[in-house]
Amino acid sequence: MRSPKSAWMWLLEKEWRELLASRAWWVLLLVMGPLVGFAFISSVRSYAEASGLGGTATGVGEAFSPLVGIWAPTFSACELAAVFLLPFVAIRVVAGDRQSGALKLELQHAMPALARIATKALILLVGWVIASVPVVAAIILWRSYGGSIYAPELATVAVGHVINAGLTIAIAAATASIAEHPATAAILTLTATVGTWILNFIAAVQGGTWERLASYTPTTMVSDFQHGLIRLDALIAAVTLTALGLGLASLWLRLGVPVRRRAAESIAATAFALLVITAGTATTQSWDTSESRLNSFSKPDEKALRSIAGSLTIEVHLAPEDPRRVDLDRRVIAKLRRVRPDVNVRYQSATSIGLFEQTSAGYGEIWYDIDGKKAMSRAVTAESVLETIYSLSGVGPEAESGDVFRGHPLMARPARAAMVFYVLWPALIASAAVAIRN
Amino acid sequence: MTTAPASASSEWIRVEGLTKKYGTVSALSDVAFSIQPGEILGLIGPNGAGKTTLFECLAGVLPPTSGVIFIHGQPLTVRSRTRTLFYLPDAIAPWPSQTVRWVLDFTVGFFGGRRDLVGDVIDGLALSPLLTNTLGALSKGQRKRVLLAIGLLTSQPVLLADEPFDGLDLRQTREVAAILQSHARAGRTLFLSIHQITDAARLCDRFVLLSAGKVCGAGTLDGLSALARSKGGAASNLEEVFLALT
Repeated sequence: MRSPKSAWMWLLEKEWRELLASRAWWVLLLVMGPLVGFAFISSVRSYAEASGLGGTATGVGEAFSPLVGIWAPTFSACELAAVFLLPFVAIRVVAGDRQSGALKLELQHAMPALARIATKALILLVGWVIASVPVVAAIILWRSYGGSIYAPELATVAVGHVINAGLTIAIAAATASIAEHPATAAILTLTATVGTWILNFIAAVQGGTWERLASYTPTTMVSDFQHGLIRLDALIAAVTLTALGLGLASLWLRLGVPVRRRAAESIAATAFALLVITAGTATTQSWDTSESRLNSFSKPDEKALRSIAGSLTIEVHLAPEDPRRVDLDRRVIAKLRRVRPDVNVRYQSATSIGLFEQTSAGYGEIWYDIDGKKAMSRAVTAESVLETIYSLSGVGPEAESGDVFRGHPLMARPARAAMVFYVLWPALIASAAVAIRN
Repeated sequence: MTTAPASASSEWIRVEGLTKKYGTVSALSDVAFSIQPGEILGLIGPNGAGKTTLFECLAGVLPPTSGVIFIHGQPLTVRSRTRTLFYLPDAIAPWPSQTVRWVLDFTVGFFGGRRDLVGDVIDGLALSPLLTNTLGALSKGQRKRVLLAIGLLTSQPVLLADEPFDGLDLRQTREVAAILQSHARAGRTLFLSIHQITDAARLCDRFVLLSAGKVCGAGTLDGLSALARSKGGAASNLEEVFLALT
């Protein structure tokens, strides 16, 4: 008599049992409560203070968006856990079989290596979702305080963190399969994840190509999602890199294949992935799911900008680290690119910080060019930039309709949160761990 | 290499010119022998002879540098290997947090093993008292018995077992040998790597003598004894044959 369960179901069960037996996963579960709790409680307090001080006056609505005020900081705890804790859980699950010798037995089943690694990744993702339950508790608590929830933006933040976790799992799986020892795999994984922070730092200093590269790091991707922005090019890059990580893991998981062949296959897979990512950078599609249109101009402004005939070129004479350039990039250019992907932005500066360029002729100028017609301004606010563009093009926006986002101020104390995150959650996890071990 | 004659028609698995090099060091050199259906073939050799390397090359765990393995006259493929061979490595401690009961169920479910043999294997290897223990909590000998159970429950017709008696005491060794013989009588082909020559002599039908990565002789004890005598050595038992030929 054969077992009615398929081999894959047996493997799934085995991986699940291995996850349950993993101390690293239980530590992750235990830590997630206080980590999320601290971020949530702090942000609710800050939000309440700001609400009490600022009132509900028009024009400050963005400051009272739960997306920026509550969910971005609360979910940041997940980002921290994904970088510093999740890799160890993933490495334990992937490298454990090699260390114990179980891999030599399991690989004698004809199941493809990719199916095996995908099974591990699936279980790890489920483990991550379970570890994210404290975030669900935060949402329930926020609702119980009378807080506003805008489902699309909240879903965007959550999906962003799941994608980030998937990417971390894929990187950890690849390093655990390639490296002989789990400690080496841990070092390699942290090098890859924390290394992208260095890339972000270099981008902030150097700008240019580095800035373009940094827009595809997990940190930037998560930051975009936390602001309710879904960029198709970043999504393509994240999914491709995840697939590459799992693909590399499956290539190196195989036994009996010469190292030279595995290396050649890895290089080919990496080259293909880079090709896909490079092709993906050509896409400009993005979606702003934030209730406050955090990443977009107002609808009349967008309509007016789209209607401008001719090509728009902006020449910015500001250094990469100049705060004015940072403001211009984040608050204006990023929004402008979403409406007018054809906008050509050129940056001119002799240094990275701009401190010693202040007295240079032309420094701080921003030149606008629409089909040969030019105008200069030094202002970096959205209103001033749009005004300059409108005066140059002769196009103006229609009057704004009444559906302007006014914000959701809330003066609530984080009641019961400390009990939930610092007492109930750790107690629940400790009890579950003991019960399962017994 | 010297090989005692074996009937070519009865060959099931044939290994030709198998070589494994690590850089400039040869772990196996031009190894050739055959496995016949239903036999217990012993791989005899001192520590470092290349026994584990040979098994891992056969099982596909290590890529051989050169050489060919034939099954029924056809070169071995991944598919034919997984259908024909199951390799039980030595010195592994798989699934340390799972119970013995679950591991045996997993073996039957995942590897498509023989559920009808579970009871007999548990009884034969005296695993009943260990069923609720986790593998990580077992002693070396207990774990070896569980690993043997895994190997015996798999359905591939050929079982390669690396040092199946390592960690077992004399009584357990004899009991395990009896179980292995009963499985061989039921039609399973066993290829066992054994460094204790007395254990091998008691259990195996034929032998492959391996020393420094080379096959020094292959065949029945009588055939190998004749070979040893022809070389002027003493050949009253397997130990003397081994010493004469290696």
